[in-house]
Amino acid sequence: MTRQSPFSVRGRNALLIMRDEREISIVRRQLNRLGMSVAEADPEQGLDSKVSADVIVLDADGMPIKSDVAPALKTNVPVIALIGTETPSRLKWLLDLRPASFLIKPLRSAGLYTALVVAFDCAQRRSEEAAHLEKLEDRVRSRRVVFAAVLQLMRVHGLSEEDAFALLRQTAMRFRTTIEQLSAEIIAVGGMPNRSSRTA
Amino acid sequence: MTKPSIPLGLIFSRSGPYAMMGREMEKSALMAVDEVNQSDDFDFAFTPHLRDPGGIVPAYHAACDDLIRAAQVEHIVGCYTSASRKMVIPIVERTERLLWHPARYEGFESSDNVIYVGAAPNHTVVPLVRHMLENISSDVFCAGSNYVWTWETNRVLREIVTSAGGRILAERLLELGETTVDHIVREIIERKPPAIFNTLVGESSYAFMRALHEASVRAGLCIPMLSCSLCEPELKMIGSAASVGCVTSSAYFESIEDAENRAFVARWKARHGTDSHVSVDGQSTYVCVMLLARAIRRAGSANVASVRRAATNHRYDSPQGPIWVDPDNNHCFLTPRLARSVAGNQFEIFWEAEAPERPDPYLSNLDLAAMGTRLENRMDAAGKRQAHLRVVK
Repeated sequence: MTRQSPFSVRGRNALLIMRDEREISIVRRQLNRLGMSVAEADPEQGLDSKVSADVIVLDADGMPIKSDVAPALKTNVPVIALIGTETPSRLKWLLDLRPASFLIKPLRSAGLYTALVVAFDCAQRRSEEAAHLEKLEDRVRSRRVVFAAVLQLMRVHGLSEEDAFALLRQTAMRFRTTIEQLSAEIIAVGGMPNRSSRTA
Repeated sequence: MTKPSIPLGLIFSRSGPYAMMGREMEKSALMAVDEVNQSDDFDFAFTPHLRDPGGIVPAYHAACDDLIRAAQVEHIVGCYTSASRKMVIPIVERTERLLWHPARYEGFESSDNVIYVGAAPNHTVVPLVRHMLENISSDVFCAGSNYVWTWETNRVLREIVTSAGGRILAERLLELGETTVDHIVREIIERKPPAIFNTLVGESSYAFMRALHEASVRAGLCIPMLSCSLCEPELKMIGSAASVGCVTSSAYFESIEDAENRAFVARWKARHGTDSHVSVDGQSTYVCVMLLARAIRRAGSANVASVRRAATNHRYDSPQGPIWVDPDNNHCFLTPRLARSVAGNQFEIFWEAEAPERPDPYLSNLDLAAMGTRLENRMDAAGKRQAHLRVVK
């Protein structure tokens, strides 16, 4: 998948969760100028749990702080928060939604493009970071397996821990697999699996 | 009988680094004011209030504030650089006034309190780059002034050029007003790029074009140059030898063969001398005042909300041709043109759009894929010709 530039916003969809008609018309007009399509959701109604928009523009003042709408907003879709009330209680509610960017009310035409670019970039970075984190967590989870495989190699081949790990790493490279995957196989067969080569 | 008067703010820098353009624009504004005041078509007269911020960015804020508080203006015509406009916008938005902005700019703005009469980027840089790709080269050397106009224009250039498979060979920037250009000229003569994209402004550009011309003659080179800001009074300042041959993109050239423009140029020369020249920004300033006067006449008042409504979708046959304000973004529909600078401080127009083009300040309708395909087709055609020749051999 190619990385979409955060600067090109044309063709993306925005979901507006706002109340004020004047502000809705400002946002709607500016989004249309940018070539984006716009849908609206009533802040009073519950949201579908599956939001299909590329970005949510949310009037943070428009919802009660004890609102059950909030969980539906905790998706991977970036949220741009429109802020009027800067009280800590409201901001605390807002932080919980992890807004990707924000605009201070009253709205004007300037600022929305910046908020969109920051939000799209933020969402992109978050998803890349999440993927990276998942990979790291996988590794941490399989540490026990790798440790067991190293012990196995030390015992079977009479190697030091350092040499056993080097062997494990070199073999994994030769087999074009990960250390974790090879370790799992070593434990399963009780020694170095017997294969001459392996293609990815 | 004297007509009721409407105060009109004019903010132009008659001194400072871009004083020449400021003076050209102010002259044009005052010419339009006189024409409105003397015309029976308008039942009001403008009282101009002039302010000269001297090209100092923060001074624009003070000048605008003073025009609104002291002179009680509802409408201001002026600003030239984006930095100056951005100083004025917060005040006109807060006080609900209208700024009529004559100069072309790099886009990415759309204030409800500004009428953008100058060209948007889809009117200037896009047709120029398309022409370059299709007729000159897909590789280009960039020389520009180190500020927002160059940065954004070069970004658009880079995006279009790279998506068409071309290359930006270099991007050399000079500080505003810098006239030491020898190192860039030397590099160009050494590297012999197939095209030069010039976004230098004012004295930097004049010095660059003179030095490059001299060096090119010595080296026996003739490298095509492209600009989206060069205008007639500048050709005169650069000098005839060095100013000839630059491919320029603009909504206005003095040489437009149109009755409206011929009459306008004649009036201009009668007022400012036969050896003077109208510039794109001067003409655009004249158009600002005329669009404003027409909108006030239609609205029946100078009230900002009524004037803004009356200004949109109303076609005015201006010197540059039909022009009207797009209610979607307060920018103008206008006709992009490409020309080549020739002797006599003039431009020879070789292309113009068939009809006024919708302004696209955010370039949200710029279709890079389509531009790339157009170029590929052209290159394919060229490639087939070559292949055919090889087969015959």
